[in-house]
Amino acid sequence: MTLSDAQGVMEKKRMKDRTKAKVKAALLDSFFVFYSILVVDRVIWDRFILQLRETHFSWAETGLFALISLFVGVVWSLTGTSLSDRLFGLAKPTKTAKLTFEIFGWFLFNITFIAGWIITKISIVDLFSDEGVAAAQRIFAALFSPRMAIFDEALFAIIETIYIALVATLISIPITLVVSFLSARNLMNDNKFTLLIYAFFRLISNFVRSIEPLIWAIIFSVWIGIGPYAGMLALLIHTIASNAKLYSEAIESIEEGPIEAISATGANKLQVIWYAVIPQIILPFLSFTIYRWDINVRMATIIGLVGGGGIGTMLIQYQGLAQWHEVGLIVIMIALVVWIMDYISTKIRQAIY
Amino acid sequence: MTLLRVNQVHKIYPSGTHALKGVSFEVEKGEFLVIIGLSGSGKSTLLRCINRLHEPTSGNIQFNGRDITHVKGKELRQLKRQIGMVFQQFNLIKRRSVLVNVLTGALGRMGTFQSLTENFPQKLVDEAMEALKTVGIEEKAHIRADALSGGQQQRVAIARSLMQHPDLLLADEPVASLDPATSNSVMQYFEKINKKFGTTVICNLHFLSLVRKYATRVIALKAGEIIYEGLPEDIDDDWFKTIYGEEAEEVEIR
Ligand SMILES: Nc1ncnc2c1ncn2[C@@H]1O[C@H](COP(=O)(O)OP(=O)(O)OP(=O)(O)O)[C@@H](O)[C@H]1O
Ligand SMILES: [Mg+2]
Repeated sequence: MTLSDAQGVMEKKRMKDRTKAKVKAALLDSFFVFYSILVVDRVIWDRFILQLRETHFSWAETGLFALISLFVGVVWSLTGTSLSDRLFGLAKPTKTAKLTFEIFGWFLFNITFIAGWIITKISIVDLFSDEGVAAAQRIFAALFSPRMAIFDEALFAIIETIYIALVATLISIPITLVVSFLSARNLMNDNKFTLLIYAFFRLISNFVRSIEPLIWAIIFSVWIGIGPYAGMLALLIHTIASNAKLYSEAIESIEEGPIEAISATGANKLQVIWYAVIPQIILPFLSFTIYRWDINVRMATIIGLVGGGGIGTMLIQYQGLAQWHEVGLIVIMIALVVWIMDYISTKIRQAIY
Repeated sequence: MTLLRVNQVHKIYPSGTHALKGVSFEVEKGEFLVIIGLSGSGKSTLLRCINRLHEPTSGNIQFNGRDITHVKGKELRQLKRQIGMVFQQFNLIKRRSVLVNVLTGALGRMGTFQSLTENFPQKLVDEAMEALKTVGIEEKAHIRADALSGGQQQRVAIARSLMQHPDLLLADEPVASLDPATSNSVMQYFEKINKKFGTTVICNLHFLSLVRKYATRVIALKAGEIIYEGLPEDIDDDWFKTIYGEEAEEVEIR
């Protein structure tokens, strides 16, 4: 390979990148048009102007909209004055391009906000109806006169919650360590095989993370039965996936120098990780993990609502029976524990740095 | 005896940069070879090809009579053990003690399990203290590495490479982030190792006054090619301007 060959390769790469960006811009424009049609037709027209309760759905109509949008989007993008052209920096620097960007951007923002308002059924009347205000008053009064008779029971349940969170966090540490090393690009770019492992772990943890702990709790309570074990597993799996991302990002941002130096002594991969990588990431790891314990206590409460055990399960039971004085005590205790955990974890993390 | 034979080596980075364009030279055992050249001329790339932190794109490199251009795995680690390297940024493990940093130079000789449990045999610890003595900072052994000054950190890095008992010591601008006086003292340790242990040294340098003082031979790179090869005292004004460009002026450093 000679120098001019190398330049030729670079030139081709630039051309390819530009074509790719152009195609992406056209697709994004089509999406914007599609989105506008749907919002205006289905939400603003059907639900607000016609006041329909049920909206109809047909693939034929939606498909037609999609085709129209694709056509409009591509043509629009070809003019070089479209929204995406400007977003991707491909637009011609003309007045028209700037004006379209402003007008259409403003239009998108407004229809989105109006549709959001319609969909959430915002209503001042409902908020201040006599009936509603009276019911709220009753609940608040009960909440602020908690029933101390169930204190022992609630204390035991909240300790269970804290332990569920603690165990999930502790078990997650060694597993997260391994997963995060396998999903750090700078450690896995040796060859195609290691890159494949990297991609695999990235994919799995992205998938696991995108499913909320609440849903994992539902899955596990069906799988192994309602209770603290299901709650713990739900937290564990989500903690591993979330912290693996944070950990691996920390690994990716470490200094390369020590890694290079230790490799240059003839050390093997594990030795390089132990001596050049771990000392650089140990503090951020500790900090993430403690913070995560704090989050897990809060999540364990929520997970309890769907059968993950602990204080959450107790809360949902009393709430179902409309025993608001008992609910009051539980809510106060949760607030207290969350506040204390938050305080402790902040203090520890400050002490580390 | 010839220790190193570099033959028509090219290096093209994945980004397309053609950093070395057919570099050839030989190094005899015991030499103190200095490589000079402008920033970006390919000096670091050349050193990294020799100890195979990078793989040459074409050409070949022989070390101790063996072709090492494309060695892999265990063989590659064996090769790296025989070649020490010192960096401009020292590249120590900041949070660990000076002693542990020096001991990392012996990782290639230790079993994986033994090294991960940090169970260093007394013999290695003694050796590490000896290496620290060679660079004159044995009293700092138990201090955290990042508490040392730049010059001291570079001496720790030299001690680390001594633990490899290297046949060849590479140094990539080892004094470029140090002040003139410290630069000179650090360079003296390289000289000492070269003279006392007979270790061959290849060193990238910027200051000609240091080059004249320490080099037994000089190679100058320009845009990835060797444009000068000879004795340091033969670099006259004309050569200087060819190497560093018409605008350049020599600065003194003592
Ligand atoms: N890892 C890398 N990936 C891509 N290109 C690189 C890499 N390392 C160096 N280069 C490029 O290769 C060329 C030679 O760089 P090199 O670092 O070898 O020069 P140098 O002579 O050591 O310069 P300096 O005095 O600045 O250290 C430069 O153009 C540089 O940008
Ligand atoms: Mg360099």
